[in-house]
Amino acid sequence: MTGILPILRRELTSLWVTPLAWVLTTVFLVLQGASYYLVVRHLSTSPELGVDAGPVQAYFGQSVFLLLSLLLLCPALSMRVFAEERRSGTIEALLTAPVTPLAVVLGKYLAVLATYVLMWSPTVLYVVILRDTGVIDWPVVGTSYLGVIGIGAGYLALGVLMSSLTRSQLVAFLLTVGIEFGLFILGIGEYVFEPGSLLDASMHVSVFTQMDELSKGVVDLRRLVFDGSLVALPLFVTVRVVESWRWG
Amino acid sequence: MIEVEGLVKDYGTVVALHGLSFRVGAGEVVGFLGPNGAGKTTTLRILAGFLGPTAGRVRVGGHDLERAPLAARRLVGYMPEACPLYPELRVREHLAFRAALKRVPRRERRRAVARAMELSAVTEVADTLVGHLSRGYRQRVGLADALVASPPLLILDEPTAGLDPNQIREVRRLVRELGREHTVLLSTHVLSEVEATCDRALVIARGRLVGEGTIEQLREQRRGQRVRLVLGDPAGASEALIAAASEARLLERADLGEGVVRVDVRITAVPAAATIEALVARLVAAGVGVRELSPVRASLEEVFAALTRAGDPAEAAAPLDGPAVEAAGADGGAG
Repeated sequence: MTGILPILRRELTSLWVTPLAWVLTTVFLVLQGASYYLVVRHLSTSPELGVDAGPVQAYFGQSVFLLLSLLLLCPALSMRVFAEERRSGTIEALLTAPVTPLAVVLGKYLAVLATYVLMWSPTVLYVVILRDTGVIDWPVVGTSYLGVIGIGAGYLALGVLMSSLTRSQLVAFLLTVGIEFGLFILGIGEYVFEPGSLLDASMHVSVFTQMDELSKGVVDLRRLVFDGSLVALPLFVTVRVVESWRWG
Repeated sequence: MIEVEGLVKDYGTVVALHGLSFRVGAGEVVGFLGPNGAGKTTTLRILAGFLGPTAGRVRVGGHDLERAPLAARRLVGYMPEACPLYPELRVREHLAFRAALKRVPRRERRRAVARAMELSAVTEVADTLVGHLSRGYRQRVGLADALVASPPLLILDEPTAGLDPNQIREVRRLVRELGREHTVLLSTHVLSEVEATCDRALVIARGRLVGEGTIEQLREQRRGQRVRLVLGDPAGASEALIAAASEARLLERADLGEGVVRVDVRITAVPAAATIEALVARLVAAGVGVRELSPVRASLEEVFAALTRAGDPAEAAAPLDGPAVEAAGADGGAG
């Protein structure tokens, strides 16, 4: 698997020396800050709501802002990984180096995933700020982050796949937003559908339930398996797509 | 170093290569020559492992490109045609990335990058963003990229395209220099380039190999096929005699006065010697005096034009000499 590390580093450099990662991080942190501010202010004006869930739980588990921002952030982060290389032709130099398509895909994917995690890292401060107002249950904070990283990991893998299907970053972005929004809407189905297989399916893909559970420290293996398959399947298909370019 | 057998590339709508076969030995500098659209880039992309062949086998340094693609690719330094680079990286960063990707050990990487920059004369722009470089520098960074892991085989797709004459001379000098240690396969549609840099040329047209050999051998293929005769022919019998010969065609006839004519004849038979002898015998038998007979040495452009048009049904009947060749001569400058 040699080649992953240089590709990962090159991707990270390219992301952070161009404005893209900085712009996305800024927008992301402004949105998260606003969301957190609303949660904390809401709880401080109506303390009786804090009985079920503290501010950390409310922020991770009950805020739709958090999920909506991921729907735009993740596609924007992943849209360029292959589309840009194919448009500019650098993919030719990349794929003629002694690296396997799997290493190329993993290197690129891990770079956007690492960037995503980096974007989240300042939000740890939100929790640190709360230290003085009550007891912080750090394992629960941990599972909350597990939740957002799990969702992001799946969304980014889908985005990498979409980026490999087109030379246009915009098309890659729109395709990814479309599919992720579809999954998101299907998740809302758990509040809408009658009991049946459709309801089961929508409960299974629901990011609301996933975040609600994990923000309370409930780790359901099914959620993690779902997130994991949302990573593995798109990446597997991406490797196939990259291999198929040889026959284009 | 390179063994290609029966290479076919079918893009679905276009068949780019029809059973191309050739070999390049270790240490050779070989020019891959052909008009635009002949299949040069497709072939080089297959050799570099970027495209897969529809049929046929490619071995690079003994490694089959389908069975051991990584082992084969490790031997190759490939410079793609458009010379794509990451514009957001500095030259040094770009080359360091490429060196790491090509598995240059970490300890040797800095030296490998410095050496590649030195060789391709880009050291002075080491800390410039690739996106800010001029075309000439980009091309040379591309060359440094191909060189950085010191691969035994260099595949360069049109290394001088888009450069000014000074830069072209510089790149040619570099290629000659590299040829001492590396096997080089470079593609071009400029003949003088092959003459200036290569030991041997492979000429392809419409996806087929139409000529192969050293520059001299290629010329040889055409020499003697066009002969100039000065005839003492007061009766004017020569024209009909030449026209009657099955493997000779009258190209040009000039009356030098006093019954002396100069004719240029194309001999279509290969080898031409027997046909020339027969033609002269027939002329002499008919009472025409043969005063001079000389082969017209083919210019490289003529060779190129003839080779690359030979298999084209639309143009096979067209005369191979004359104004078209002169026009081609203006481009390459050699001959």
